[in-house]
Amino acid sequence: MTDREFACTVNGTKVARRDVPDDERLLDTLRWRLGRKGTKEGCRTGDCGACTVLVGGRPTLACLTLSHEVAGESVVTVEGLHDDPVGRRVQEAFERESALQCGYCTPGFLVALTGAIKSHPHGAGERALLEAIGGNLCRCTGYVAIRRAVASLGTSRP
Amino acid sequence: MHGLRGDPAGGRIARDVEAVTRRDAAAKLRGTAEFGTDLEAPGMVWGALVGSTVAHGRLRRLDLEPARRLPGVVAVVGPSELAGLLPSGKRDAERPVFPESILRYRHEPVAAVAARTLAEARAAARAVRVEVDPLPVVSEIEDVFPEWPGEEGPRSPHVIAHVRANHGDVDGGFARAEFVHREVYRTNGVHQVALEPHACLAEVNDTTWKVTTSTQTPFGVREDTAEILGLKEDQLVVDGSWVGGGFGGKAAAFLEPYALVLARACRKPVRLALTYREEFELGRTTLPSIVWLDTAVRGGKMTARRVRLLLDAGASLPGRDFATGYAIAFLLGPYEVPAFELEGYALRTNKPPFGPHRAPLAPQTAFIGESHIDSIARRLGRDPIDFRLAHVWSEGSTTPLGQKVGPFGAAEALRRAGRLAALWRKGLKPHQGVGVGVGFWGTGVGAGGEALLRLTADDLSVLQVEHDIGNGSVVVGLPAVAERVLGLPSGTVRVLTADTASAPYDSGVFGSRTVAALGQAVEKAAQQIGTTLAKRMGVRAKVRLEVERGQFFAVAGAKRVAVRELLTPDERRGGGLVVRDRHYGKPGTIDDARVREGTFYAYHDFAASVHLAQVEVDRETGAVRVMRATAFPDVGTILDPEMVRSQVEGAVVMGLGTALSEETLWGPDGRMLNPGLLDYRIPTLGDVPPIEVDPVEGFAGAGPFGLKGLGEPPIIPVPAAVANAVADATGARVTELPLTAERVARALKLL
Repeated sequence: MTDREFACTVNGTKVARRDVPDDERLLDTLRWRLGRKGTKEGCRTGDCGACTVLVGGRPTLACLTLSHEVAGESVVTVEGLHDDPVGRRVQEAFERESALQCGYCTPGFLVALTGAIKSHPHGAGERALLEAIGGNLCRCTGYVAIRRAVASLGTSRP
Repeated sequence: MHGLRGDPAGGRIARDVEAVTRRDAAAKLRGTAEFGTDLEAPGMVWGALVGSTVAHGRLRRLDLEPARRLPGVVAVVGPSELAGLLPSGKRDAERPVFPESILRYRHEPVAAVAARTLAEARAAARAVRVEVDPLPVVSEIEDVFPEWPGEEGPRSPHVIAHVRANHGDVDGGFARAEFVHREVYRTNGVHQVALEPHACLAEVNDTTWKVTTSTQTPFGVREDTAEILGLKEDQLVVDGSWVGGGFGGKAAAFLEPYALVLARACRKPVRLALTYREEFELGRTTLPSIVWLDTAVRGGKMTARRVRLLLDAGASLPGRDFATGYAIAFLLGPYEVPAFELEGYALRTNKPPFGPHRAPLAPQTAFIGESHIDSIARRLGRDPIDFRLAHVWSEGSTTPLGQKVGPFGAAEALRRAGRLAALWRKGLKPHQGVGVGVGFWGTGVGAGGEALLRLTADDLSVLQVEHDIGNGSVVVGLPAVAERVLGLPSGTVRVLTADTASAPYDSGVFGSRTVAALGQAVEKAAQQIGTTLAKRMGVRAKVRLEVERGQFFAVAGAKRVAVRELLTPDERRGGGLVVRDRHYGKPGTIDDARVREGTFYAYHDFAASVHLAQVEVDRETGAVRVMRATAFPDVGTILDPEMVRSQVEGAVVMGLGTALSEETLWGPDGRMLNPGLLDYRIPTLGDVPPIEVDPVEGFAGAGPFGLKGLGEPPIIPVPAAVANAVADATGARVTELPLTAERVARALKLL
């Protein structure tokens, strides 16, 4: 245990706790202390991307991030996307193109794409968006429908 | 009380949409769908497994005390604790919860612990002292049989299954051959790599043992777990969660018995999940094979064939091998042959037990059989597609095991593939090639299921035990069957899920059977609703349903009556009009005169699967790039085009992994060498070529409206098509899966 305070915002809500151990990963804090289980636990070694969240707008692997590293930052998880116009656009594109099957990798893809669109103030082309999700693994769709969803976003402005 | 749960998208959302919408989409897109790894309960503690430290050995001593002394630990359970925890019922002697003496594979669970936190549980698991006298490790097929065994083969203690079948004049066929084409092929293990690790939550009270789990087969888990623990089936309740990918890896009990024993020991809810490393190290997956093929050719036809198979079954138990009998039949492909001889062994090794993976062994056997037939065609100077057309099954053909083939779209698919191949060939550049692969599958598998439909004034629902595993068979396919029977628009029928205590029996979401087989029960139940309403309306015409402002109406000709008026007072007050129906598939019939030994499986309702692939081979490194692929699936009829497309696309890409990069590697000590996603490489977004789907309709299957199952068939021909395209591009035949750059480079004599 620690007496260090864990303080940040998660999906716009302030969070402050004293029960977060120094060696706890952001993935576990989000899922088991804050009940934000939309962020998925896959490999826990940074290889699959299912746990991608935005930290200060940057797509970040929550499984490789210590919780205390995000002190003072704004964290966005998949649960926060629906309240964001860009996040919602990405969700709608995935639904329209049936770009999800089992849905386990889906939060990571949605968050990574939302982060990529927002980090290109002058618009992110298809290529930039595909690069942003090049490290996310999906086993069901063969990525084909995901590519269609990305293409349907067009040149995306935040 | 085990209540019903609505689909998370909610009836309202599902009812507002026009086109087919996945009823699970909203929950999955918003992060609210609860998967196995998300399960949690008040007072929950965390479980961890203690594994064998060797791949083969005799357990000398298991010292649990050091774990018991650690902070936070609430339960430590080994073989000696079981008697005090489990009822006195008969436990399956072949499948002990924990082994008492012989350890059969590395990391085989020998004990389990539970603690307040995961870190404490892991520490406790590490503290258990496992003392073992090592025994010799058999890690590969060659450790058992360095070459094809002679008469003494069946006497090897490592043989857990031995199958033989033959038909026709094999010796004569070989004696009269113009030439005999002989080859040896190998395949390696592949892992399902469902992104969600296995996970479950167990809760035990005085009357009920309950486990909620990420599974394709809740009733199958109930049956397995009850046998393993010696429980009566009705003492055990299995509930499903959303499944983060199954692919066969979540089709049997796995963690559930351990979690239940821990929950019984500490009287708290126990969460047990595998790490991703454990997914690989404990995985019930496809394992290696070696195959010898000899084919006699005369007059441009295959006249006699001899096939021998050695299959690594891992630590599978005798009698539980389900793979050898059909793997070996698949090796002959969907082709007529006047005479053949098959012989195969499943061999026990010190790897984890063999388990199913999307069309178990079919992509591997199709790679072997289709590479062989391709190389015969090339040796004859024949077009590979024409040569296949001269042998391929059509309706009325007889399979090697004497089954009659029903409507079968292979020839039509091959003709389309031939036309497309001719087009592709016009644009080929050096080091590029085009290859075809043919596979087949039987759906229905004889497994049964029951459907329960409930109609109220403002709702029609299907009650189902399984959650969807991702392919849409439950959230799109089953309700679509009811909708089509009753003339309802897409999205009107809700899917409700309940546990094994409340939902009707179904054998599970596997074997491409859900819509094809269970769908028949849904179809019949929906027809019952129609006939019941017709009777109550006093009409002979077929009744369809309409929805207006959320209310259901029955329509027959000019007659239109609100369903509310057609329900009996009891139905209005109570649970509506409830109908049940069932479909218990009959196994096909094989000709016993052709079987000499062992179990062969009588698949039926055959679906063909034909793919075309174009590749480019790097002449310096041997690396293969798939440039495009087109699938011609024999679908019978199409229920939902989006489902067809998404199943084929996903299967092609998974098949590209099997073809090019996926391979479980094992050391001589039985240790898995690549238990992670960096070293076991599945396709990524950048690896995916353009994929086209050209469905072949009109060859009706036994499913609703004549459809055929589609979960597995489209993965089957992928490695074959890629390998044949590589041979077309280079003239070199790679005889081992996967076709890594190194193996291709060796075939090209670059190494």
